[in-house]
Amino acid sequence: MRIVVCVKQIIDPELPASQFRIDAESKRQRANGHPLVISPYDENALEVALTLKEKTGGTVAVVSAGEPSAISALRKGLAMGADEAALISDPALDGSDAFGLAAALARGIQKLGTPDLVLCGCESGDWADRTVGPILAEALNIPCVSFVAQVEAQDGRLRMRRVVEEGYEIWEGAPPLLLTILSHESNVPRYPKVKDIMTASRRSIPTWSAADLGVEAGDIGKAAMRTEVQQLTLPSRESRCELLDGEPAQQVATLITKLRERKAI
Amino acid sequence: MDLGLSPRQEMFRDMVRDFAEKEVAPRAAAVDAEARFPAQTIRMMGELGLMGVAIPAEYGGAGADTICYVIAIEEISRACASTGVIMSINNSLVCDLIYKFGDEEQKRRFLIPLARGEQLGCFCLSEPDAGSDAGNLRVTALAEGDHFVLNGAKNFITNGKEADIAIVFATVGRHLKHKGISALIVEKGTPGFQVLKEESKLGIRGSSTCQLLFEQCRVPRENLLGEIGEGFRIAMVSLDGGRIGIAAQAVGIARAALEASLEYARGRVQFGRPIAAFQAIQFLLADMATRIDAARLLTYRAASLRDCGAPYTKEGSMAKLSASEVAMWVTTKAIQIYGGYGYITDYPVERHFRDAKVTEIYEGTSEIQRLVIAGHLLG
Repeated sequence: MRIVVCVKQIIDPELPASQFRIDAESKRQRANGHPLVISPYDENALEVALTLKEKTGGTVAVVSAGEPSAISALRKGLAMGADEAALISDPALDGSDAFGLAAALARGIQKLGTPDLVLCGCESGDWADRTVGPILAEALNIPCVSFVAQVEAQDGRLRMRRVVEEGYEIWEGAPPLLLTILSHESNVPRYPKVKDIMTASRRSIPTWSAADLGVEAGDIGKAAMRTEVQQLTLPSRESRCELLDGEPAQQVATLITKLRERKAI
Repeated sequence: MDLGLSPRQEMFRDMVRDFAEKEVAPRAAAVDAEARFPAQTIRMMGELGLMGVAIPAEYGGAGADTICYVIAIEEISRACASTGVIMSINNSLVCDLIYKFGDEEQKRRFLIPLARGEQLGCFCLSEPDAGSDAGNLRVTALAEGDHFVLNGAKNFITNGKEADIAIVFATVGRHLKHKGISALIVEKGTPGFQVLKEESKLGIRGSSTCQLLFEQCRVPRENLLGEIGEGFRIAMVSLDGGRIGIAAQAVGIARAALEASLEYARGRVQFGRPIAAFQAIQFLLADMATRIDAARLLTYRAASLRDCGAPYTKEGSMAKLSASEVAMWVTTKAIQIYGGYGYITDYPVERHFRDAKVTEIYEGTSEIQRLVIAGHLLG
């Protein structure tokens, strides 16, 4: 099976909220030299791919559309066990929304060769809009199964456990497919081994521009924007103290009413 | 002059930090409280390649450099100083030593499982009457046919209880003084080799520190490392490398104390303000961070010289001296910032304080480091 995993490099989401800074003009988080990591669900997706490869054979490629710095995310992918990596990076991608990124990723994935399976994290650790995967499936013209926690390969077909609000659903399908992956105990990302880090650091990773991929200028960047960020602000935090009157029984009743009003219980 | 890490070293650091935060740190308090050897963690570290970081891949190691090695020791020790020293001994005093001085057969037989983390090693130099005076050994290794017969006791041996392989320094004749000291590889289970006593310690309580006894312990001649009489030189060369590891361990402990202090100072409110708002605390934090950075840079310099193949004895001693004393100072101040909470075991800084002390003692006390440095200055 030929598997491609899309990875996004983001500012470490574990960063304390006090260090979160917003660039007013671009309406994005400022990098400010903070550590950059692979978006967490993308690492789960990569783990799913590597586990499938170990069980059924085949290859795993990692691809990213982003800043040149994303090369380090791809190197980590190689160190974890991916066979191949490619970066799509071009100033023309600046300002791309999910549609622009999916257009570029689709071309990059096709350039790597026709995949049997494309895996994405179910959402990115920064914007969390959950849209790139499904839009990418549309661009590749393959079916999409979203919010998949577990995948098993059986006789050329895939059996997927998809998490829904009420529990889970079991889906089956034959490749080609695109899955968006949730975290699960079965896909905890492995640590790359030191010798694999050393090997990955010596690998050359191709960087493709929009022109290399034949992406039309109108399909990426601001020109292709179908969504717009109106405002990005830090959530305000308030703390208030309220003393409840009455006897304990009455205080408890009031407390329950107030908690219910705030949907806390 | 570039003082930054390469992308490869950064990726390595990120992996070790991630591993240390998720797998090592959560167990550190229990490892200390129960004086429990972190066997599961050490096994995982072996699988990742952290038990033979700078050993070439052909001998079971990860094929990284000394800078990567000190990065790893710092990150692991930041999470758990006990785990840091177990790793440090295996890497720099056992694997490096066999790699440098062992013959091909010894490398194949002993180094590969040690560097892969399938086995653990210990380094047996100190004796009850020979600590800093390492040339004055009393354990004897008398040649008898195709064997050496070991007799005597070794003291304060880190990893002594769990080690599968012991590098034992012994004299073939006390009258020869330094020139009689020889190094032997002794396997666990060799008749006449036993762990006599495990010490109860102030810090690094998750690593064992043992007294080992050798009684008519017959070691095959092919287990001799280097030549007869070369042992003192082998020990000193090994300790040069070991000191870089202990420096990195001290930096890791100090960093853990600083990070804990920063978090506490931001959250602890007194007189209506977080104590971080008070200049008295700010000055302490600034001094802690500055001293840690200086110690780390000294450590990186020594590691970098080693990677270049340049002499680094003086620089290794400077790094170890500086980092260990910084660790002691920083952890003392961390407790001061915490106040009463720093003195109780609910918070981590008292553990960092206890762990820091030994870095001023083992692999050469601060006084020995000063002698080494002064010796180089005065020629």
